[in-house]
Amino acid sequence: MNAYNSIQSKAPAREWSRYRFPRDLFRFTALLACLLGLMFAIDFLGIDLARLLTLFGRVGEVLSERYFPPDVDYVMQGDYLASVVETVQMAYLGALIGMLIAAPLAWFASWNVTLSRRVLYPLARLFIMASRSVHEMIWTILFVTVLGFGMLPGVCALVMFCIGFAGKLFAEEIEVIDMGPVEAMRSAGANPLQTFCYAVWPQIQTAWTGIAIYTWDVAFRAATVVGFFGAGGMGWYLKRNVQQLETERVAAILLSIVVLVVISELISAWARHRLNRKRDANRIAIEAEAA
Amino acid sequence: MSILQVQNLKARYAQTGDDILKGISFNVAEGDFYAIIGPSGAGKSTLIRCINRLVEPSEGSVSLFGQELTRLSARELRKTRRHIGMIFQEFNLVNRMSVMDNVLSGRLGYVGTTRSLFKLFPRSDIQRALELLDRVSLIDHVDKRADQLSGGQRQRVGIARALMQDPQLLLLDEPTASLDPKISRDVMQLIRDTARDLGIPVLCNIHDVALAKEFCNRILGLQSGRMMFDGKTADLADSDLERIYELEVL
Repeated sequence: MNAYNSIQSKAPAREWSRYRFPRDLFRFTALLACLLGLMFAIDFLGIDLARLLTLFGRVGEVLSERYFPPDVDYVMQGDYLASVVETVQMAYLGALIGMLIAAPLAWFASWNVTLSRRVLYPLARLFIMASRSVHEMIWTILFVTVLGFGMLPGVCALVMFCIGFAGKLFAEEIEVIDMGPVEAMRSAGANPLQTFCYAVWPQIQTAWTGIAIYTWDVAFRAATVVGFFGAGGMGWYLKRNVQQLETERVAAILLSIVVLVVISELISAWARHRLNRKRDANRIAIEAEAA
Repeated sequence: MSILQVQNLKARYAQTGDDILKGISFNVAEGDFYAIIGPSGAGKSTLIRCINRLVEPSEGSVSLFGQELTRLSARELRKTRRHIGMIFQEFNLVNRMSVMDNVLSGRLGYVGTTRSLFKLFPRSDIQRALELLDRVSLIDHVDKRADQLSGGQRQRVGIARALMQDPQLLLLDEPTASLDPKISRDVMQLIRDTARDLGIPVLCNIHDVALAKEFCNRILGLQSGRMMFDGKTADLADSDLERIYELEVL
């Protein structure tokens, strides 16, 4: 008899099962419910799965017949290029103003450091949630209805979008900070604003910069289409050509949007990468020092 | 003369309503180095935090130089907190700030908001910070980031920050729990000597009974929110310690 067997033989005889009742019953029931829901949805909407198989072929056909070749000359005109610049400026203004409003809102909407848990916290949460719950295109339609056509409703829509988007992410970063320094500043008699600047801000600075870059990225993507609903920029040209069935121009516009979004994403990915690298370098230096 | 008077202090958890402190009374006199000992969960940290109202007491009174602290408005409380320096177990430094800025942050209660936003501390404050950093032997590390220091060095920054407040009372919340035994003794020694030089009484949470006996002249024994002992260190008998820690099990 080897050591393993001798230990085994002394262990008291007990039943053991991986499965627990009723926990696992609930889990498997939930899984089953999801699958049934999927089947029901496909059946309810009358989706013919066989048609999906021919999808790619048809997409290729339509693209090559109607959208090819893209009318590149059209997107190289001065008018259209000016609308590109407008779009960039609209995104810039929207993102900047939106984040300037989102920053204090995020402070109020963070349970751990908010100025007032009874009043400001729920109000700020509600405002951020309200901005998020309405899609940016719906905001555009709303603002166009109120303010009329032009850049202003576009900027306003993007501001609302950025408040919701950045506000939520900003607040999440504040809520996971180390509260030790906050306690230290409070115990030294610092007021709430000083506490925020000295104990909270240094801890969230890097994360907020990353979020700001990301927000700009998403705002720019949104800005390329808000024109579709009358708020100016490239989207307006898109809408007009779609309605006039100028499919080759539409192809060129879509292509230009893709190119611009890719460029913007590359730049922001590069910036975020640099930010992370700086943070990592810092951490490595600290660990080296400690060792 | 007693500087800090605590009477029938009670505190409870907001959610469950259970009392953490069940009526604590004691006096800290000039020149005292007062230790609060007791098992984990006895309420030591809560007691310390009730003094400067980082935790709101539910009942009882805390008076510092005759001023009742429990009834102060937010603004008055901030003014009073300036005179109570606090040193923490986890140091509570701002890692991404320099040693200098960490020490200067002890002056936030004195510097106006606008000035402090731009880190425009008066020249005299900077001079004072340099003196204190010299005193805690960190003058060569002024421009380092706080997270580049060792544990003992960080706690010395914490001490300098607390002294920057020109405190009339020092609160210590387990100042040595994150440090190794030798550094712990050095830190306690530094605090005792400095407090003695500046004539500041100290109230100190500590779980290491040997350190408490070595450095403190008075001891308060806590057990699940009740006072089990209050007296001179010399009067603390082994039987008292047994009573304080009797409920603690592995």
